[in-house]
Amino acid sequence: MTLVQRWRTRGLTVLTYVIVIIYLVPALWMVLTGFKTESQAYSSIPTLLFKPTLSQFKLAFQSGFGGYLTHSLMASLISTGIALVLGIPAAYVMVFHMPYKSSRNTLFFVLSTRFMPFAAIIVPLYILYTHLHLLDTITGLVLVYTSMNLPLIIWMGRSYFLDIPHGIIEASRIDGCSPWQSLLKVALPLSSSGITASALLAIIFAWNDFFFAVNFTFTNVPTLPIMVSSFMTSESLFISKLSALGTLVTIVPVALGLYAQRHLVRGLTAGAVK
Amino acid sequence: MAMRQVEPEALMSLNKVDTSKKVRNPLRTWMHLPAILYLVLLTQIPFLYALWTSLHSWNLLEPALGKPFVGFANYSYELLHDPEFWPVVENTGKLIFGSLVVCIVVGTMLALLLHRAFPGRNLLRTVIIIPFLITPSVSAVVWKNLILSPSFGLINWVVTTLGGQPVPWLSRFPMLSVIGITSWEWIPFFVLVLTAGLQSVPDEIIEAAHVDGANGATVLWRIVLPFLRHYYEVAVLLGTIFIFQTFGKIYIATAGGPGILTTTLPYYTYQVAFQHWAVGQAATIGVFGVILAIIFAQIMVRYFTRGVEGAE
Repeated sequence: MTLVQRWRTRGLTVLTYVIVIIYLVPALWMVLTGFKTESQAYSSIPTLLFKPTLSQFKLAFQSGFGGYLTHSLMASLISTGIALVLGIPAAYVMVFHMPYKSSRNTLFFVLSTRFMPFAAIIVPLYILYTHLHLLDTITGLVLVYTSMNLPLIIWMGRSYFLDIPHGIIEASRIDGCSPWQSLLKVALPLSSSGITASALLAIIFAWNDFFFAVNFTFTNVPTLPIMVSSFMTSESLFISKLSALGTLVTIVPVALGLYAQRHLVRGLTAGAVK
Repeated sequence: MAMRQVEPEALMSLNKVDTSKKVRNPLRTWMHLPAILYLVLLTQIPFLYALWTSLHSWNLLEPALGKPFVGFANYSYELLHDPEFWPVVENTGKLIFGSLVVCIVVGTMLALLLHRAFPGRNLLRTVIIIPFLITPSVSAVVWKNLILSPSFGLINWVVTTLGGQPVPWLSRFPMLSVIGITSWEWIPFFVLVLTAGLQSVPDEIIEAAHVDGANGATVLWRIVLPFLRHYYEVAVLLGTIFIFQTFGKIYIATAGGPGILTTTLPYYTYQVAFQHWAVGQAATIGVFGVILAIIFAQIMVRYFTRGVEGAE
């Protein structure tokens, strides 16, 4: 490697770091602002060096964070649980039991339900929810989040089951396993890391939802994204408190997503890219 | 003799085709039915109900008027008489197209930069996903109050430091601002997909091109990028579908304004449904959204069919 080449390589590395850091500034700035006092946050020259304070996080906690957190946890965990219970057997059947053609048709149906714009069903669901008294209930949120996450679980599960050799499932069947036993004792253990990742992605999707939460919840079961937006309208002059709250809300999806990062592409592209 | 040597191979390859395409384990089972039933109940039935609603004049604020059947009057009103409908469709197109352009350009650049071997590459590849994971309503709040705000925003601090005047970004350049926020969220998705693509380019091809005397730019332009076509298609199709759904960012950052400059189809559906309570009309706008989505889905279904038959 010549000297010029070496400097070019170093230059590109520095450039990469600079671009990535600039790209991440909004996220970094949020976290940093959360540790500031309001007057530091509102200085016209951005403060980088300051004595960090946890008081904004305490204030965010005291503004009813626990209640919103409970609703978010319940809605995302229960919906993901139901999506797994319904979706994994479906994915298993699609890979190991269905004729090729109906498996493909089922996949198309599943994909099409996920890619239908949510706005198309918000009105009818709202009217149905009014009649069924599901507005502003955890059950109402769980129902829509399950229908949002079921396709994700099915296509990710399918994509991981496809990696299992058919012979293994065939052998378990010859040994006398019912389809449920083959699924639970053979297929699931072989694809556990992939299935875990798809569950984490489902939790993230439900956790981050704003559209259904803002239209279907009012005072009983608002979730954390609703807390963030109502905080902004009612207390727009408290940006470090807002930043502290934003940081708290974001910890869960960021942690789960980074944990499952190897599986993100497969999950988001319905297995088209592995 | 030659025939016999070929025979076992031919048989093996026949078997291979057979196992992948044959009726798999033919045991009858209902294990998939609950999931299908659930999706039909929660997505197809409501959609049929939306179609029915769209054929009626129905305002929840005026129960006395009832919900008379009006045929396709809601549709003709939207297409011909609603002064906001076409601007809203145009806004939706601008948001999707603008965000895709930014995501493709920045995503390609970052994917290429992060493909080189250098110290800390894995760390950067990990942290770059974060904006995609951040709750979208949180990133909208952060962009609005910490980054784009005319008085305390970071961007205006840079602008004024360089001697410029502070710019009220969200009111002066509303669509560009929303495109910026949306792209910020979706760039990691493009980086992830394109990185997977770059990793699948065989090294031998690139080495061969270098041996043949091609320089870096030629290799990138003539070999690597064409090789990534499949990955760009996936990213653009899915990006289109997901960005089309953008709602929270608009709700929080601009509320569709100023005027209707950043009102897109999902946000317009929301406004008509939950601010004017004209549910018949809102259902109609929702149906138009589905028609647009079906056009994309058609392209995509064709695409995934190819994937299913080819890759597996």
